[in-house]
Amino acid sequence: MTMFEAILLTIITASTPLLIAAIGQLVVERSGVLNLGMEGMMIMGAACGFAAAIVSGNSYIGVLAAIAAGMGMALIFAALTLGLAANQVASGLALSIFGLGLSGVIGAPFVGARRDTMARLDLPVLSDLPVIGKALFGQDPFVYASFALVIGVWWFPGRTKPGLILRACGESHASAHALGYPVLKIRLLAILFGGACAGLAGAYLSLVYTPFWSPGMTAGRGWIALAIVVFASWLPWRAMAGAYLFGGITILQLHAQGAGVKIPSQAMAALPYLVTIIALVIIMSRRGGQQSAPASLGVPFVPDR
Amino acid sequence: MQINRRQVLGGATALAGAATLGQPVFAQSNPLQVGFIYVGPVGDFGWSTMHDLGRKRLEEVMGPAVKTTVVESVAANDMERVATQLGRQGHRLIFTTSFSFFQPTMRVAPTLPNVFFESATGTQTAANVSLYNARFYEGRYVQGVIAARKSKSKTIGYIAAFPVPEVIHAINTVMRGAWSVDPAMKIRVIWVNAWFNPGREADAARALIDQGCDVICQHTDSPAPLQLANERGVFGFGQASDMTRFAPKAHLTSSVNSWGDYYVERAKAVIAGSWTPGDVWGGLNSGLFKLAPFTNMTPEEASEAQRIADAISTGRLHPFDGPIVRADGSTVVPAGGRLTDDQIRAQNYFYRGIEVALPS
Repeated sequence: MTMFEAILLTIITASTPLLIAAIGQLVVERSGVLNLGMEGMMIMGAACGFAAAIVSGNSYIGVLAAIAAGMGMALIFAALTLGLAANQVASGLALSIFGLGLSGVIGAPFVGARRDTMARLDLPVLSDLPVIGKALFGQDPFVYASFALVIGVWWFPGRTKPGLILRACGESHASAHALGYPVLKIRLLAILFGGACAGLAGAYLSLVYTPFWSPGMTAGRGWIALAIVVFASWLPWRAMAGAYLFGGITILQLHAQGAGVKIPSQAMAALPYLVTIIALVIIMSRRGGQQSAPASLGVPFVPDR
Repeated sequence: MQINRRQVLGGATALAGAATLGQPVFAQSNPLQVGFIYVGPVGDFGWSTMHDLGRKRLEEVMGPAVKTTVVESVAANDMERVATQLGRQGHRLIFTTSFSFFQPTMRVAPTLPNVFFESATGTQTAANVSLYNARFYEGRYVQGVIAARKSKSKTIGYIAAFPVPEVIHAINTVMRGAWSVDPAMKIRVIWVNAWFNPGREADAARALIDQGCDVICQHTDSPAPLQLANERGVFGFGQASDMTRFAPKAHLTSSVNSWGDYYVERAKAVIAGSWTPGDVWGGLNSGLFKLAPFTNMTPEEASEAQRIADAISTGRLHPFDGPIVRADGSTVVPAGGRLTDDQIRAQNYFYRGIEVALPS
């Protein structure tokens, strides 16, 4: 494997949790709901996924448990914001803080346990392609899942009827309601999908990326995923570009340090944020993306009002 | 709503009452309350975990004579508040277990003159502030010797937290040890600007390994870099606790901290009324830390490492003997001299031969 391939492989590994979480959040926001509980759902996925994998001895059961945990957290959020029409920003923040605390309790018996990282799954033929083969198709199953998610979320909202209904709920929930669509039910499904993605991203951290449990191990990745969605102006391909750009600069600045480049490490550490924001803002302004936020984003919907 | 508020108020009153009960009204007959403030989570497997093991040892030895309280993952700018609260709750002895807590400890100590503070690493003592630390660099020298024996690419990868003297003199000492075996040894350093951030530590390890480093030293607290070394088939060292189980094929040795006996000694001193501010900086011979059993090494390599460790422990070998030359070529100490403890604690330069950018 050449140096270039190795770096590419590492970049994709580093970006995948961000990408999975961002794609989930994108669907939630497209339905008109702002769930700031990403970090909490993600870390619950990490804790429950690791715990289930240790108890059952099977990483795939861990993954399922992580998805269930993320969806469980999302359900709490849905009960508050859809059922009780509570403020979405406050509920989301509460969910993040709650998740960080609860995951510590769940993970406590598993501190110090270790598992081997999940096996890579080489796709035949494709993984033998020169340069990009190993990096794209010699990865763990999560990476393939992230590719599938991007394609699915590109195809679904723009090119299927249920997808258009989902977008209608996000653009004008009153109109969607008037047309007879069950706005709350659709938003519930979107929130659950977002929770599942967050749980999956969390499982990636505790089962593949750094295969152990420690409290607070998501280290703000949920918030970065949220930011990527906004700067990607709610489009899956741009979210993918944003996640890979962020992951890429993160890894490249570490390489630059290792190679002895004489730039202060603090400035280097700030680079991923800076470059990603600048790049996505430029894309957004060029393509008239300012108006692209779903019009009903963050507005609670009460059917009889 | 009113009922709710009343319940809340009632709860608050009960809590306040409980807090009052907790005050040492009859301090003589009550157990000594000891507070521990950690910079990371108890479950970091490293620095904070080992302080907590020390706390457990204290409870085990002293039994009902002490009562301990833990506050984990405290940010440096929140340390004063936490310490003040512990002091008001009647804690007479508080261990602030990070260099990041040293300045806040110095600020809060004069406001709580009846509380004895113990700061794990720092630069000066005060009327009610002691310092304690271990000479971890002694273990770093041994790591350097082992790394030079194990490395085929002749390049060590070092994952560093912050550019503070403790980390800088550790990097210098690793290379001192490595050069004693092979003067051609080189080092690459990545600063992750965190003591504990498993994801970033693992990313740094990936980058170093991709650049050809085949022995990884870490000055951060999670087992992530070592685990990654295991996955990628290179070697590494554990930090603060014995991390063998995280990397059965990669682990060479760990520096294992052991604070329990010191905590017992200091708690006994407070109870006896004989506590005085001290400045403890113990080496391999002090029991404050030891090296975990050597693994993945040939018998010859292990016995050489043990010989070096013994030589340092008995004072026959000193990692800061001259000549010491800075990266810019100026001599700090000529041959025959030796750095003083204060000079070691203030080291803010790399030795000649270490070509690494030092963040300002």
